[in-house]
Amino acid sequence: MKSLKKYLLNPDGHFGKFGGRYVPELLIPIMEELEESFFQAKKDPSFKKELLNLYHNYSGRPTPLYFCENLTKEIGGAKIYLKNEGLNHTGAHKINHCLGQALLAKRMGKKRLIAETGAGQHGLATATVAAKFGLKCRVYMGARDVERQRPNVFWMEQLGAEVIPVKEGGQILRDAINAALRDLISNPEDTHYLLGTVCGPNPYPVMNTYFQKIVGEEVKKQLGGLPDYLVACVGGGSNAMGLFYDFLDDKKVQMLAVEAGGKGIKKENGKFTHAARFQAGEVGVVEGFKSVFLQNKEGQIEETYSISAGLDYSGVGPQLAYLQDIGRVKFTYAVDDEVIAAYKLLARTEGIFAALESSHAIAGAIKLAKTLPKNKTIVMNCSGRGDKDLFIVTKKLGDENFANFLKSQV
Amino acid sequence: MKKLMTHIVAGYPNLETSEKLLKLMSENGVDFVEIQIPFSDPVADGPTIMQANQKSLEAGTKVEDCFELMIKAVKSPGETKFLFMTYFNILHHYGVEKFCKKAAACGCYGLIVPDMPIDEEPQEKYLENCKKYGLKAVQVISPLTPERRLKMIEKVADGLVYCVSKFGTTGQTSELNPKLSSYLKKVKKYIKVPLAVGFGISTREHVDAVHKEADIAVIGSKIINILNQGGIKEVEKFIRSLK
Repeated sequence: MKSLKKYLLNPDGHFGKFGGRYVPELLIPIMEELEESFFQAKKDPSFKKELLNLYHNYSGRPTPLYFCENLTKEIGGAKIYLKNEGLNHTGAHKINHCLGQALLAKRMGKKRLIAETGAGQHGLATATVAAKFGLKCRVYMGARDVERQRPNVFWMEQLGAEVIPVKEGGQILRDAINAALRDLISNPEDTHYLLGTVCGPNPYPVMNTYFQKIVGEEVKKQLGGLPDYLVACVGGGSNAMGLFYDFLDDKKVQMLAVEAGGKGIKKENGKFTHAARFQAGEVGVVEGFKSVFLQNKEGQIEETYSISAGLDYSGVGPQLAYLQDIGRVKFTYAVDDEVIAAYKLLARTEGIFAALESSHAIAGAIKLAKTLPKNKTIVMNCSGRGDKDLFIVTKKLGDENFANFLKSQV
Repeated sequence: MKKLMTHIVAGYPNLETSEKLLKLMSENGVDFVEIQIPFSDPVADGPTIMQANQKSLEAGTKVEDCFELMIKAVKSPGETKFLFMTYFNILHHYGVEKFCKKAAACGCYGLIVPDMPIDEEPQEKYLENCKKYGLKAVQVISPLTPERRLKMIEKVADGLVYCVSKFGTTGQTSELNPKLSSYLKKVKKYIKVPLAVGFGISTREHVDAVHKEADIAVIGSKIINILNQGGIKEVEKFIRSLK
């Protein structure tokens, strides 16, 4: 049996039928240069040392692996552990690959970072590393996401980044990715596109998985043994790959990925009311890679819906599509109401606000724990903290006092 | 022979206009016309063509409509060769072989699929199917393409090769790439089929400058802009001014 760990970091970037580099010719030399630089850096002990130093002293790693004793009691099933990536600098796991890519961009002599962002977490992390490394920064964000994540936009601007609302298409993450790719095509020489998930053309999936795998490595050490289950939410898939990667060759460990079920797995007025690619998607080639996408009968990519901007994406990382295909990772989904309930339960029992994205993993883990005996162990990835969702959650819960407060501030 | 290639987005603003545009292009002696099958995520296109893609899809344009358009276009009396330009997911979703077979049956001359690089051929069998059904698989080259890749591309080049004139996406610019001449000289060392030069070509002066270096000048976004501002009549006037 081949090592999945080795296979999923292969320089060729094909994972079964998924992955690859389906980009216009203009981008091919840029992707080749990036691939070469990444694999060189990966072998260089000084690069690794510098990255580890940043993980520890800048981002605050290792993040805690916390036993949710109260939640476990409340559910009455398997033991639930929470990997608290929300305690990273900038509030989510995104900083892991941002630090890695920024170091690489420096090494390559790039002067400018561009990024796409959905929830704003990746944009914020990119703006942060750009400030730290003295690089210019431009963040593309769907105009609709700009509206629902205004606090992050403000923070990015404070960090010196230029935030460009993307008004094309559905004005969400996918449109921001397209806009960033166009920027890179126009400025290939001085710019590094800091793509924020394990999607995109080779080498992005391999590279971001490599920079995120620290999450699972820490869990392995902290737990001092193997868990029975790992649970993570999946938008593009960066936090899931981060948690899963180091356990891929440990056959005993089962992996559950939770997609955004939105308002349920259906279509309303011809539009998806969710972002669950493995419930309703098909294989396709979009934005430079082959994977599973939510598309219509004509092969046009469709808009998706989720309460969490970070999971509101029509594609998924090609490594995860492969892991699903071979049965190594099982996929499920959580609908908005389950997500809000999980968010509230975690806050009440453990005093932890999970991001709405991460609350999908919490919801999945809670459901799973109920079905398992007490001697089983689940590790769920709390990929980000919930502060950023203040406005969405207060609205969803109909908090009148908060609405009044907002009015009084204007 | 100095030739001209023009472009339309099928179904923009509607199929009837597309049909008229194709007819007038053929009547006015345009040598090649790209019929772009609209796609939701056209990454190589700039704002003008991107918006036309989106509008066409909103108007309900289907892949089958584009085949119908091709059938009508090739009936035009002129010598014009018609190509399909689109993104790979359209072919992938339709079935690469099925698409090539159908396009060829409609009288299509060749395909331009910018996000289907030669590197992915082992998985997709795109070139293989183009060849099987007698379609020219038009390869795209950019100013960054290294000589190593030019050699690889020469091996599969068929009909013509499309040279992107500058960094960036499709769309108008006021000036041509000042390094165009040396770039095309490098390309010609390896590529022996006719070269088409596009991206940012928008005036008679640009066309003349391109013709000093290459066989075919490509005008895309500019025509959509003229269509948006002055309608079909203005497009016809503009195309006449280029010949």
